Amino acid sequence: MVWSMSDPLDALETRINQLRRAIRDATGDAERTAELRAQLRRAERAWDALVDTDDAPAETHAPPSAPALRMGGAMLPAREHVHRVLMLLGVPAAPKLIVSVHEAFFVGELTAAKLSSLRRDEERSYRATPGSRPYYLCPALAYDLLSPMRALITVSTWALEQRIIGPLSPRVDYLSSAIRVAEAVQAVAGSSQTGPSPAALRLLWRFAASIPDAAPTGPASHEHPVDPRQVMDAAGAELQVHIDTDRADRAAAARRAHRFTDAQQLFGAPLGNVSKHQAEA
Amino acid sequence: MKAAVDERLDGLRGSAPRLTYSARSLAALENNPRCTLRAVLDASGSDKAAIAAHAGFPTPFGQSPFAIARGNVFEALVKANGCAELIRVLRETLKLTLPEVAYQDLNDVGGNASPEVRHSRTRQLLVNTALGKSPGTLYDHPMLRLQVGGHTVFLEPDLVAFRIEDRFHVVEIKSFPIIDGRADAAQVKAATTQASAYVIALRAMLADAGIGPDAVSDTMLLVAPKDFTNSPTAAFVDARKQVATLTRQLTRIEHIGDLVSLLPEDLTFDLAIDKSGRALRPAEELAEALDQVPALYRPDCLSHCEMAFFCRSRARACASLDVLGSAVREQLGGIDTATMALGLARGELTPDADQAEMAAALRHAARLRTEVLGQADGAGATA
Repeated sequence: MVWSMSDPLDALETRINQLRRAIRDATGDAERTAELRAQLRRAERAWDALVDTDDAPAETHAPPSAPALRMGGAMLPAREHVHRVLMLLGVPAAPKLIVSVHEAFFVGELTAAKLSSLRRDEERSYRATPGSRPYYLCPALAYDLLSPMRALITVSTWALEQRIIGPLSPRVDYLSSAIRVAEAVQAVAGSSQTGPSPAALRLLWRFAASIPDAAPTGPASHEHPVDPRQVMDAAGAELQVHIDTDRADRAAAARRAHRFTDAQQLFGAPLGNVSKHQAEA
Repeated sequence: MKAAVDERLDGLRGSAPRLTYSARSLAALENNPRCTLRAVLDASGSDKAAIAAHAGFPTPFGQSPFAIARGNVFEALVKANGCAELIRVLRETLKLTLPEVAYQDLNDVGGNASPEVRHSRTRQLLVNTALGKSPGTLYDHPMLRLQVGGHTVFLEPDLVAFRIEDRFHVVEIKSFPIIDGRADAAQVKAATTQASAYVIALRAMLADAGIGPDAVSDTMLLVAPKDFTNSPTAAFVDARKQVATLTRQLTRIEHIGDLVSLLPEDLTFDLAIDKSGRALRPAEELAEALDQVPALYRPDCLSHCEMAFFCRSRARACASLDVLGSAVREQLGGIDTATMALGLARGELTPDADQAEMAAALRHAARLRTEVLGQADGAGATA
């Protein structure tokens, strides 16, 4: 497999990520959101066009929105499956959620058992030859001790802030995943003939059930499918409540972590440092 | 004085390592406070399961592995994805506001899961929250500590929730269902008793930091599956009575010396376990030792005390009414054994003054029984 990535694809992915963030921040401002969405669609179309002319490796770097439309890749190794799911979600995720999202949008086999052995291999591989892989699957880092939180998986290419878990981050990440899953469901509904898989709809329903105003209410609400738009709006609304505090927590922790070695920034600080950092916190 | 009591307790336990109290054995304190045998065995840290098994009454089943697995799965489900389901439930019941979602995982501290480290982290976080220095809402598996009879016991609630401008609430996640707003009374009581131990431990921890007991609610929140689904629902359970009873029992443990001083000097429950792990002490001798301590058997002992089968056989042997449960006991007030009750009913025994009324009732019941049985026999004969 060829690991080098074409620069325009890289740039487009960054652009797509920026636009997504901007859209999330602009919730409430309908005009601005519409304009941003149009831009996002253009960027995604450009990415699709580029990647279609590209070959196999692009599959592994599928951007958040596209993989839903791009089935296939059944024979990929487990770490590629996980990477693809994490790029769709864009936030640290637990093995269980990764498996559910994988089943909802992708083909191929991925089990939670496979995931746990994977995590050990990643750190070993990094320590043996750092930087030999384009990305590593790392644990999220606790904001206070910067110790690894092994229950949550992230991608090494993400910014440090993105890989840190503050007190509000579990909720923020949950709401962000809800938005991403809703977007993916919407994308599949708009593009494929069969529509979203039952697993995808079930996943969306589960998200909607524990976000205020995300699920249809009133009589016969069971008969209506969950509306991805409604989930996005509801999750976006609650996200606004937490996002600033959460970002400040994560940023502060990231500043402290910058003094660490590269390996520690990826796989967490050893506990020996605990008392020292706790004292400074 | 205190040291002497500890020495006596060590003597009762013998060579076996000391077992500490757990949430379960603390709950037993509240369930059957008047049982001397249980009090002495628990206070001395003896291994009740091993002793009962050696005396010939092994507990045939522990806690069901299926029940434990089911409990863990349900708890994981409720806490998955940043406590998504739990937050929904707490917003409905505890009226948590939208910003109150902060979550602290206290299952380990930077990979270190030792109870001491987790306890100091718990104390640091909860005290700061109580003082309003740092915000925080959900604390997953905090590690609390309680001094019981001079020994440290670590306790681990499922979750503690703090509501802004209010106080801490102990949350217990249980896998028995709440159907139509009702749950099994015995299981709710067990959960509440467990929670009351957490309330006491939490209050003790905050008291060390100069925070009053009002900071911890004595109403616990029970989270359990709704009806026949896997979706959680919650209910408030008033734990005031159990908190009060347990507090009283805990202070009484300090008086264990009074109980112990009534027992023979050389009494011991030592199993004399040799290097290969075999108990060398003759079973009859152990049973004799146990018989010297008064036990108070009740049918519900079967659900929480390892000695229950031993005590039941003893209660049966002397035809005690305890075997039949508290309802029968109260109905037959003043009469202790089944032999006496039957004797009075058949008119074979002469009641004394305060048994007269009960004896009349028993004879009446016996007459009714013979009439009914006689008719049944007659019907059986003609058919």
